[in-house]
Amino acid sequence: MKTTTPAILAEHLGKAYRGRTAVEDVSLRVEAGEVFGIVGANGSGKTTTVEMIAGLRVPDRGSASVFGLDARRDRARLRGLLGVQLQEAYLHHALTVDELVRLYRSFYAAPRPAGELLELVGLAGQGAVRFEKLSGGQQQRLSIALALAGRPRVVILDELTTGLDPRARRQVWAAVEAMRDEGTTILLVSHAMDEVQRLCGRIAVLDVGRVLAVDTADGLIRRTGAADLDDAFLSMTGRGLEEMT
Amino acid sequence: MSEAAATRMDRVHRPGPRSWAVLVACEAKMVARDTAGLIVPLGLPLLILVMSAGSAGEVVFENGLTALDLFVLPLVVVLVIASIGIINMPSFLAYYRRTGILRRLSVTPASPAMVLVAQAVVSVAQAVLGMALAFGVALLALGANPPVRPLAALGVVALSMAALYAVGMIVAALAPTPNSAVAIGLVLFLALGALGGLFGGSHTLPEGVAAVGEWLPFGAGVQALSAAWAGAAVELQHLAALGLAVIAGGVIAAVAFRWD
Repeated sequence: MKTTTPAILAEHLGKAYRGRTAVEDVSLRVEAGEVFGIVGANGSGKTTTVEMIAGLRVPDRGSASVFGLDARRDRARLRGLLGVQLQEAYLHHALTVDELVRLYRSFYAAPRPAGELLELVGLAGQGAVRFEKLSGGQQQRLSIALALAGRPRVVILDELTTGLDPRARRQVWAAVEAMRDEGTTILLVSHAMDEVQRLCGRIAVLDVGRVLAVDTADGLIRRTGAADLDDAFLSMTGRGLEEMT
Repeated sequence: MSEAAATRMDRVHRPGPRSWAVLVACEAKMVARDTAGLIVPLGLPLLILVMSAGSAGEVVFENGLTALDLFVLPLVVVLVIASIGIINMPSFLAYYRRTGILRRLSVTPASPAMVLVAQAVVSVAQAVLGMALAFGVALLALGANPPVRPLAALGVVALSMAALYAVGMIVAALAPTPNSAVAIGLVLFLALGALGGLFGGSHTLPEGVAAVGEWLPFGAGVQALSAAWAGAAVELQHLAALGLAVIAGGVIAAVAFRWD
């Protein structure tokens, strides 16, 4: 029996929008220091699930906590230990990298040094460049750096590398691996199987708002008898990756 | 350190004065770098002032005050406030909401409400700059006179700012996109301006229309400021009209404003 406080605990989360169910029943337990992946097709409830964990959406049913802090009741304390990179969130377009890092660092009591943040995501030397002038990959890496500004104990990364070229994806992955090596707990939402296979210790497969399975990549492949993770996903959900984008 | 101990140490941290200062500086940079957005609030009032100064400066009323002092300058001051409050500020806030900037901030210890306050501070600073520019040019280059009751004039300016910014907050709350915020703001600005005497003065409007205009924040602001400039008592109706706009705007924006 596990007695330590889990980094993330979601119990029977449920959410509907105007009568349409987005999340039916999702329960997850993520241990401290773990890199945990959530995969699923569009509309499977991935983003709604992590937004409920982050306190951005109020669940209709169930509860979510981060290191024992309730996503709704302890919202203010939660903000101090959680870093979030949202799927669709823009930053002040006319501000430079340095200005944005200064702004986000100012929100926290003991922020990580600016130089260290930019070094971590490979943006050292880009401080004077405006956000609107950065490439898609650089914008994504800056977004990760800002999520790490407050030395979070838990980081939620939603659709980390969607739309990035292979080189930019590898740079973002390197940043995530650096976070992992520092012991940060990471919840990674993705529909890229190669990404979760490379980065995540365990993976939850979501489909129509429910958890179908939680296992390692090898475990998921083994239990379905598939050749790889793509096939394992297809086998479990009855849908291919081409339907996921 | 155990996890439980570490969690206990995660005290609530709220951004302090330094964070507020950084945010206000960032908002100021955003506004300053949007050079096109500065043309209407800073350039248009100055243009109207200079174009009206020749004829208005020659029409002398009592105490040596001219039409430039009593009609054009109050109009120009309210014009600066209205263009920033009703057009510029709502479009910034609608842009922030549309692009997820407010949503992004809501997952940090900073409240998105900090952005509203920072925007308001920067907008007020922008309005003060616009008014100082117009007033400085009028005083130094066009021979205008300062208000006879300066404190009353300052009070009316502050109340007009609150009223017109409250109207702007309604636009920010209801506009679904940045473009619609500009469109709604511009139409509202022109409508309030027209009813308040922006095009040729309120004396050129039909009596009923002019009366309606004096109950709206633009017209009420111009009339109240004109009275303070002349040294007369500011009419209660105009102060009430401005106060009502503050309350109505505040309530509607508080109910209807969405962070995402």
